[in-house]
Amino acid sequence: MSRRIKSLQLRLTVELAALFFVASCLAVGGLIYSASLTAGSLADRELGLRAEDLARYVSLDENRKPRLELPPPLNQAYSAAAQQSVFAIRDKDGQLVEASTPEIGALTARWPQADSEPSYFRLSKFGPLERDYSGVSIRLDSAVGPLSVLVAEVSGGNQLVHSILREFVFDIAWYVPPFVAVALLVAAFSVRRSLLPLRAASAQASVIGPGSIGLRLPEADVPTEALPLVVAVNHALDRLEQGFVIQRRFTANAAHELRTPLTVITARLETLEGNGQLSALREEVARMNRLVEQLLCVARLDSVALDVSSPLDLHELAEEVVGSMAHLALSACRTVALTGADHPVLVTGNAAAIADALRNLIENALAHTAPGTEVVVEVGPEGAISVQDSGPGIPAEDRRHIFERFWRGKGVRAHGAGLGLAIVMEIVRAHGASITVSDRVPRGARFDLRFRAA
Amino acid sequence: MRLLVIEDEDRLSGILKSKLGDIGFTVDIAGSAGDASAALELINYDAAILDLGLPDGDGLAVLTATRQIGKGLPILILTARDAVEDRVAGLNAGADDYLTKPFAIAELIARIKALLRRPGGVLGMTLEAGNLRLDTVGRDLTIGGVPARLSRRELAILEQMMRRFGRIVPKAVLEEKLYGIDEEPDSNPIPVHIHHLRRQLDAAGASLMIHTIRGVGYILAEMKA
Repeated sequence: MSRRIKSLQLRLTVELAALFFVASCLAVGGLIYSASLTAGSLADRELGLRAEDLARYVSLDENRKPRLELPPPLNQAYSAAAQQSVFAIRDKDGQLVEASTPEIGALTARWPQADSEPSYFRLSKFGPLERDYSGVSIRLDSAVGPLSVLVAEVSGGNQLVHSILREFVFDIAWYVPPFVAVALLVAAFSVRRSLLPLRAASAQASVIGPGSIGLRLPEADVPTEALPLVVAVNHALDRLEQGFVIQRRFTANAAHELRTPLTVITARLETLEGNGQLSALREEVARMNRLVEQLLCVARLDSVALDVSSPLDLHELAEEVVGSMAHLALSACRTVALTGADHPVLVTGNAAAIADALRNLIENALAHTAPGTEVVVEVGPEGAISVQDSGPGIPAEDRRHIFERFWRGKGVRAHGAGLGLAIVMEIVRAHGASITVSDRVPRGARFDLRFRAA
Repeated sequence: MRLLVIEDEDRLSGILKSKLGDIGFTVDIAGSAGDASAALELINYDAAILDLGLPDGDGLAVLTATRQIGKGLPILILTARDAVEDRVAGLNAGADDYLTKPFAIAELIARIKALLRRPGGVLGMTLEAGNLRLDTVGRDLTIGGVPARLSRRELAILEQMMRRFGRIVPKAVLEEKLYGIDEEPDSNPIPVHIHHLRRQLDAAGASLMIHTIRGVGYILAEMKA
């Protein structure tokens, strides 16, 4: 078989079906064979009895010659089926005593004398009927000495025995398909049921990801045969988790260690006096500061499960973030504003993380909008918050990539590292919140976030 | 004036010492929580800058211990942005202000000065921002050295803005401050005062301007946008 069946359940079922089929065939075949053997021996026995009967009715006539004298009922029976039931009798000298038909008489004349052991024979397409006969030839003692008696019967003439047999076989065979079907159902069901824990394990496996590396496959109820695999997978996951943790710790430590030298560089640069190159350098360092901060943020989001269960006021939070970004915006010749609801909007989440997300969205908007324009944060009722700019907007084909780490749009001046929106996405995901990107009318991009209302 | 800088990173504390020294502060440096606690107990500093991440212990413990022995000096804490909990805990434990690392030295100096100018603070009662100079006791304002006349309410607004120079002043804070000094029941709303203030600053050639951040408040910053 070139294509192997991969489904354990299907394979077991198919193989069991084949087994049941072969076993049933063997059982039924064996039954038919032994039944027909029985039928055959019954027929042989009957032929033998008939031969004895015939021998019994041979006597000497007035000329002291052997002669067959059948009683009327037997005589009637033999003449009624003269062609179906044939016989021939010879004396010890080989002289024909009696033959039911000339053909059988002629045939017998050519045969040697019979033995005391019955010898069975078959005749094909014999006599005027041109039918198959089965018969016996035997030497029997009689009142006139040993006789050679031959009796033959049209094959299949024993209808009664065969019809009983046929009925019996069909009665039995009738039970076989339903039995096979029920057995298969039971097998399929039991296979299915014993594979259920494996299904549960694969469902669990499908939710294991970078954000949930602590999850393991359930080992309870797993069939003994599959348990080593599940245990081995869990051990593999343990090792992967260790590697992951080390990797994350490294990122966090590296970013953390970078912070102090960066502060020192920033401070030293401030003390220097110089030309435009120096201020370009300062900008570069500021960018690097931001990048390190974002790396730390990513590392933190990766390593610690965010507690998103605290109630918070989205409006107050937006006010704080917009206020804290105002100076940054102004120094970049842009401005920020807060519109929408002017009252508390309660949601459930993690205030610091949502503030981080908002900060990154505003930064992103400031980077993509022209000088002199305003980035608008709008808080809506029921946990909605949006950040809108007046920049070129985000092309539809870029929208599924902008949240990937380190992704930057083509032709966009190298401003950030491409981590800001990835951070936003992580935070949105951790909150079970939603984020959509759309065009702002008449111009610009618009990010809409929706958190769960408290 | 004597400051204590509690920071384990030598290069950083060195820069802080020289920069703060340049503007007339005497700076002591403590590199560990133990040194810091001892120094704070012995010497009456005018202010302290405390890094929360210290090698031999939690900076927060230093803060709590200092407050427990009844020292009320202004303390500014330095924290990492990723440790939001530290920041909140620091303020709850009695810190007066915080800065997240990495920070600009100019920002740190401005914050320290603001802390020292608080009522009860040791620094003189004069606020400076750009070419504005405000004597908070005599209520005298000079713009580029030239005395300027402002109404009491406008002066109160400007004082708040100068105290938080470069940082947002929420509308609510201004409203609160104005209610305290307003005798007239039908006084103008804040936007009107801001409008007047802006015109006068502009006319007097101030190097700063008041920006409106819609929906949040006002910010005094260099003229740019």
